[in-house]
Amino acid sequence: MRQRHVFGTVFTLEALVAGCVFVVVLAVLARALVRRRAGDAERSERPRLEACYVGALAAFAVFLVAWTAWQNHVEHPAAGPKPLRVDVTGFQWCWTFRYPQSPDHRRVSGTCKGEDMPTLVVPTGRTVQLRLTSRDVIHSLWIPGLRYKTDAFPHHVNTLTLTLDRAGRWRGRCAEFCGQRHWTMDFWIKAVPAREYDLWAQGGTAAA
Amino acid sequence: MTVVPPTETQRDDAGRPVPPGSWLGWVSTTDHKRIGLLTAGTSLVLMLFMGVLALLMRGQLAQPEETFLGAQVYDQLFTIHGSGMIYLVMTPFALGLGVYLVPLQIGAPGIALPRLTLLGYWLYTLGSLTVLAGFLTPTGAHADGWFSYPPMADSEHSPGAGTDLWIAGVLLAVTGSILQGWAVLWTILRRRTLGMTMLRLPVFCWAMIATCLMVIGAFPALLAALTLLAVGRADASVFASNVWNIGYQHIFWFYGHPVVYVMFFPYLAAVAEVLAVFSGRRFFGYRGTALSLLVFAALSMSVWGHHMFATGQAANDYYSLTSIALLVPAGVEYFGMLGTILGGRLRLRTPMLFALAFVPQFLIGGLTGIMVGTPVIDYHVTDSYFVVAHLHYVLFAGSAFGLFAAVYFWFPKVTGTLLDEGMGRLHFWLLVIGTNLTFLPMFALGYLGMPRRVVTYAAFDGFGLLNLLAGAGAAFLAAGMTVFVVNVLHTLRRRHLGRARPAGDDPWEAHTLEWATTSPPPRLNFPAGRPLPPVTSFAPLLDLRRREQREGSAV
Amino acid sequence: MKRHLSAWVVAGWGLLNGLLLAVLAVYGESTLVYWLWGAVVLLLELAALVVLSSSRSAPDQHVRYRVPDRGAGAVLPTAIGLLLVALCFVYGRWLLFVAVPLLVLAAGMALRGTTARER
Repeated sequence: MRQRHVFGTVFTLEALVAGCVFVVVLAVLARALVRRRAGDAERSERPRLEACYVGALAAFAVFLVAWTAWQNHVEHPAAGPKPLRVDVTGFQWCWTFRYPQSPDHRRVSGTCKGEDMPTLVVPTGRTVQLRLTSRDVIHSLWIPGLRYKTDAFPHHVNTLTLTLDRAGRWRGRCAEFCGQRHWTMDFWIKAVPAREYDLWAQGGTAAA
Repeated sequence: MTVVPPTETQRDDAGRPVPPGSWLGWVSTTDHKRIGLLTAGTSLVLMLFMGVLALLMRGQLAQPEETFLGAQVYDQLFTIHGSGMIYLVMTPFALGLGVYLVPLQIGAPGIALPRLTLLGYWLYTLGSLTVLAGFLTPTGAHADGWFSYPPMADSEHSPGAGTDLWIAGVLLAVTGSILQGWAVLWTILRRRTLGMTMLRLPVFCWAMIATCLMVIGAFPALLAALTLLAVGRADASVFASNVWNIGYQHIFWFYGHPVVYVMFFPYLAAVAEVLAVFSGRRFFGYRGTALSLLVFAALSMSVWGHHMFATGQAANDYYSLTSIALLVPAGVEYFGMLGTILGGRLRLRTPMLFALAFVPQFLIGGLTGIMVGTPVIDYHVTDSYFVVAHLHYVLFAGSAFGLFAAVYFWFPKVTGTLLDEGMGRLHFWLLVIGTNLTFLPMFALGYLGMPRRVVTYAAFDGFGLLNLLAGAGAAFLAAGMTVFVVNVLHTLRRRHLGRARPAGDDPWEAHTLEWATTSPPPRLNFPAGRPLPPVTSFAPLLDLRRREQREGSAV
Repeated sequence: MKRHLSAWVVAGWGLLNGLLLAVLAVYGESTLVYWLWGAVVLLLELAALVVLSSSRSAPDQHVRYRVPDRGAGAVLPTAIGLLLVALCFVYGRWLLFVAVPLLVLAAGMALRGTTARER
């Protein structure tokens, strides 16, 4: 859930700052509109004020750049020891999830038609590394509940590392336009306790 | 000022004399005013068409699980709406505005490279028709979005002539824009009249310099990207390697980000001119604004990778750095605009209303732009309706409001007649309501998880109410645009019948040289018997008025 | 500097691009990007040179202008010819049989100076 947490922090801060800026500009506009017959200011330049203003803007920009870059690195830590690996393949128009570390190389897929949506089952509390690729065109694996997505390219592998702290089920979607049934390319991601996951990985059906 | 007619004119007789109104005089005109009008007029007509496509899409999305349009049609609609508005409407209109206004503002009798400018217009028009011709092919128009990533856009996944026509058409249209960009740039740099130094150029001309620099620097990359796509459609093995798949995205966005500013600066500058004129004072912070426009434009060349944060194959930290740095020059421009209106006597005529609404509305686009320029936020919201909302706040709530401010402001100069004020106000209010009702809910939709480019969504997704609101907003937009079209046609009809009240040379008490000539201006822009006012600053007419006032009070 | 400010604007803008490209090199990016942006910086500096040479050979501001319109009649045929060339990509090279004569005709009109002169 690290992604969701980092997103929440950064989004809240930026939304607050943006809100303040918007309110200030609106206030200045309102003042100009209310007092529109008041002054007839002749000064058309205030270089010193402008320089101070640019300095303040630049300082804020430096802070924002450094802080968000840091947050971005917090969001992508070096992979811990022995993550659970899942090979994800996007195709027109659904997903395949392979578990190379499970005893019989468990594989989940579907057609993404109606109720036939594949479920990506992962254990809670353990680092999961999704290795994303595509069989045909570019797709993008998006889990809105996790506030994160990564593109799936053909002839290229991207990795997406995630850890789900609690059991639950979230919706996953394709975010990159990939043809006529792009909109149906949904899947479920389901986090279950580690023991339940082990049973499932050995061929059980209870979780899925 | 002496205007020397072309020496060739006197030497050869290959030219066929035609009356000024005849069609031959229009299709082969070298008058920058006519070329500018043709370009802007064509793009306005296309804007209405692309708007109708958007209305159909909002109709389809107004309810969950709607089947009014199939996915096949819907994909064509969003592709042609997006690529049309960007390649064929907002960019050409911006350049057309430059073609029309720049020579007038710098006191020149014509544009540099007039024949290339005209060629630019025709390539743009023929290219637009080629793109639209896709609808007439058996498989329909191109249906892969305005950025058309391979391998989705290759001949295996997007078969059909529609895509080929789209590539050929966009290639022609953008070539036309590049030609017009060169002409406008050269005109500003090398055709200024006596006294018009670079530091006395109106704000609009500075914005056009920045715009045209981006046009000549970044637009060729689109030609390269489209050529790559064409090669890949002929030889499928090209896109069997990731190098060209990700390479296409780099080349495309190298064009695709600067074009956003090409579709923004001229409108921003039109707003700046309108704000200054209707505040009755010169634009505040002129030098800072001119410099910030150039820095803004240079930075805009470096931010393209923020469209690729989620590809996992871009230097995210760098693009985030440059994207966030944009807030500095953008802040300087806002400083100038707000400083201008703060101490002014505001006159709330229609152009001013549009310009004033531009300020907060574009700000929403700009502030959310910082958000999508932050990688950790962008990972969630990219390719979602959040981005759709953001780009429409920039291009519609921002640029298009600037466009309408420009239309209402310069209409009397171009036609000699003012547009109807009442209908203008109605247009304005319908557009303000419609814009915010349509695009504000989209931020929430994207945040909640609605991907862009989906033909429909499930009822249990919970997107129904917000999409319904957006649909209602679209109805307001349609009504507003209808009022606008009626206003323009009605005014032109009255003018044709001779019933319109003449606007005079300078109905707004404006600042720049285009208002020092007749409305509409004569063929060589400034009447022979009337000297240009001395160019004493970037607002020569304001200086003149002030001087006359002083002399008047001294007597 | 002030005398050739127009050329300096273009040159400076190109250099600013070069500076940003240099910063990108610190972060590292694919080779294609260096070629692409590097070529653009070069193009901009060439444009600045052209402006500079024009600015050196004539005054910065003008009172005498040429307003050329000779051969403007050739523009539309040229545009249609180019359209047909572009359409070869869609419908095949046979279109060149129409496009090339049209472009030759346009070239002829341009050389002869055919134009519609308003009055």
